[in-house]
Amino acid sequence: MSGGGGSGRVAAAADAVPDYEVAELYTRVFCVGALGRGWRQRLGPPDLSLATEAAAEAAVAAELGCAAETAAELRAVCSVDMLMPSDEEKDPEVIPDNSSLLTLRIRKKALERREETIIVDRACRQETLAYEMESHAIGKRPDNPVDLVEEGELLLTLNIFYPVIFQKHKDHKPYQTVLALGSQKLTELRDSISCVSDLQIGGEFSSQPDQAPEHISKELYKSAFFYFEGIFYNDKRYPECRDLSRTVIEWSESHDRGYGNLQSAKMEDYTFNDLSLRIGFPYLFCHQGNCEHIIIVTDIRLIHHDDCLDRNLYPLLIKKHWLCTRKCFVCKMYTARWVTNKDSLAPEDPCFFCDVCFRMLHYDAEGNKLGEFLAYPYVDPGIFN
Amino acid sequence: MCSVPGLQADCEALLGAFQEADTVRFERFAELWRERRFHAIFYGRIRALERNKFAKKALELAQQYFLPPYAFQIRVGALYLLYGLYSTQLCQPKQKIRIALKDWPEVERFQQDLIESQHYDAAYIFRKLRVARAFHFTAMPKLLNYRTKKKIQENEFKEEFKDPSNRVNSLITNDVLEELMNIHDHYQKMKCVISADKSQPDKALSLIKDEFVVNLKDITLEHQEWQQKRMKLFLNAKEADEIPNGKEEGTSVASEGSERANALAKIKYRSYSAVVEASKSRRHRQVKLDSSDSGSDYGKSQSRSKKNSKRSQASRNRDSAKIRAGEMRTMKETVTRHVGMPVITEEDTSDEEEVPLTKRKKKR
Repeated sequence: MSGGGGSGRVAAAADAVPDYEVAELYTRVFCVGALGRGWRQRLGPPDLSLATEAAAEAAVAAELGCAAETAAELRAVCSVDMLMPSDEEKDPEVIPDNSSLLTLRIRKKALERREETIIVDRACRQETLAYEMESHAIGKRPDNPVDLVEEGELLLTLNIFYPVIFQKHKDHKPYQTVLALGSQKLTELRDSISCVSDLQIGGEFSSQPDQAPEHISKELYKSAFFYFEGIFYNDKRYPECRDLSRTVIEWSESHDRGYGNLQSAKMEDYTFNDLSLRIGFPYLFCHQGNCEHIIIVTDIRLIHHDDCLDRNLYPLLIKKHWLCTRKCFVCKMYTARWVTNKDSLAPEDPCFFCDVCFRMLHYDAEGNKLGEFLAYPYVDPGIFN
Repeated sequence: MCSVPGLQADCEALLGAFQEADTVRFERFAELWRERRFHAIFYGRIRALERNKFAKKALELAQQYFLPPYAFQIRVGALYLLYGLYSTQLCQPKQKIRIALKDWPEVERFQQDLIESQHYDAAYIFRKLRVARAFHFTAMPKLLNYRTKKKIQENEFKEEFKDPSNRVNSLITNDVLEELMNIHDHYQKMKCVISADKSQPDKALSLIKDEFVVNLKDITLEHQEWQQKRMKLFLNAKEADEIPNGKEEGTSVASEGSERANALAKIKYRSYSAVVEASKSRRHRQVKLDSSDSGSDYGKSQSRSKKNSKRSQASRNRDSAKIRAGEMRTMKETVTRHVGMPVITEEDTSDEEEVPLTKRKKKR
């Protein structure tokens, strides 16, 4: 983990207090690691502690500079019980009738309206899924203490947008939300991003449908880059990786287009702590040559003992968009795996099939092709649901 | 910013009552909290996802009163409110209070102030929250996701909660006045020195009013008095409103609301009248006077329709490109087998709104 807050870094940390560049929208550029150092310097071990149990309440008197009796009295006067009315124990499901709170009156009305109109009162599948995604890893601790997240580690929240061009998404671009640790490498995030374009299979396979799986794009084209604040971080882990950013940089330099001095670096050499960026500002992840995902860092904060503390579970997916799947035209049940064009056996062009129906319809028992058609493997964007 | 209806009103009512009680004791706050059964704010049939969201919103709202520019008393009230909301929420694990790094020095100073002025209950509660690790130490107070214009609305919090200190007072402090006085003396002496009559400056050098520092001081004082009087009037008016209408809460709320509305209307009116009507020859350059909301609506709808048409054209181009590609492919297909990608059109449902637009275009 980078940093540790040496005294020589005090000056650097002072500059690292992020603030708005445009209010409520995005911040000025700052170094992610310096934010962590800034907090660690200002806080004490009890604040950073990831232990399950909170520290015992001692030394109140000493810390506040009051008498011991006062401290004891404070404990009684300021207890949470003071906020609970003594008369009755209430069911949290029921809103009290005579509430003076506007929030509750509004909520009550909404609930009554729902009761009148709704038939079955339960969470819909999407809502259950969303809650499940959000909370499944909360409070998880690793079996092996080596995998425990370090105290004072930073936690980044990233929104990664899908590069969809569907008309129905023109107002709300779907995205997934991922939590990453400051000390993680960019490549760890890169490997965790699942995108259908990695699973695409190029080519037409009507005469040899069994060979299709050998041509998955992920295996063939491994290049990718992140773009943050004027620097392209290229994935160069494999010899066959190409510098995808070169074209852009050359284009920018060729006519002095006013994009400043764009640079490139190796993705595998950088952790999030090493980056300088703005919170709330759109950046880019590009893979498969031209599959472009907008990336926004929406939040950075210190890790908390209630968070998932198993380092291996990061980058942690906590939200994803539920995409509609295209179903097989024959069985109308399974997600499409094949698409055909100019198909003499199909009523539509293009026409979608699941694997079973596709083979049943288009090939005889010996696997010979029947009729005229072009067949392409199809990867549905909804397969990650 | 707060999309939970009523929540802000409830919090402000509680803080307002606390302000009126003219104390910073937690005991009094707890009394007010119990009177309102504020813990019940988390009650009702809410499912887990919604519950988390609500608790987050409530803490975010309360946290804003905890920081300047709010008056000391309100900030103490906000600390108690945070403590109450944090401890009585029903989420498991509890939602945390977000503190941004840039606000932290202010928070620490506040805690120091509390201890120094021996407000032990408030200091104890802050310490208790910290020991309970109720805070998320963040980079920024909120999550930022580059929402453009859509959601940027003014945060209208209660003016009365803010410190009465203002720009005039912060600009013209005693020190500044003293400094000015010194400079003025010095200036006067210099003028005497270079004048013919050493006891009194030349008339030609009289470029500034002699008693200007005194005047400035008087004006500042007057302003301060006026402000205090206004505050008092405002509070009295509120009381007067509330006492006779004990039963009908609605009217007092309405009058308060209408007061704000009037103030807003006045501001609006002033900004309207500030735009000078252009002469006829320049009518085409006339500055547009749309009311703020309808104006933004107008812009939005226009830009949307523009986007629509652009999009449809693009999709048309794309389609035609696809068709062309398709044709190319059929020509090529006979030669090579392995090239090419399938032709996939978008799903019907998503195209529905597009259809009439493209049709209209084609007719042209």
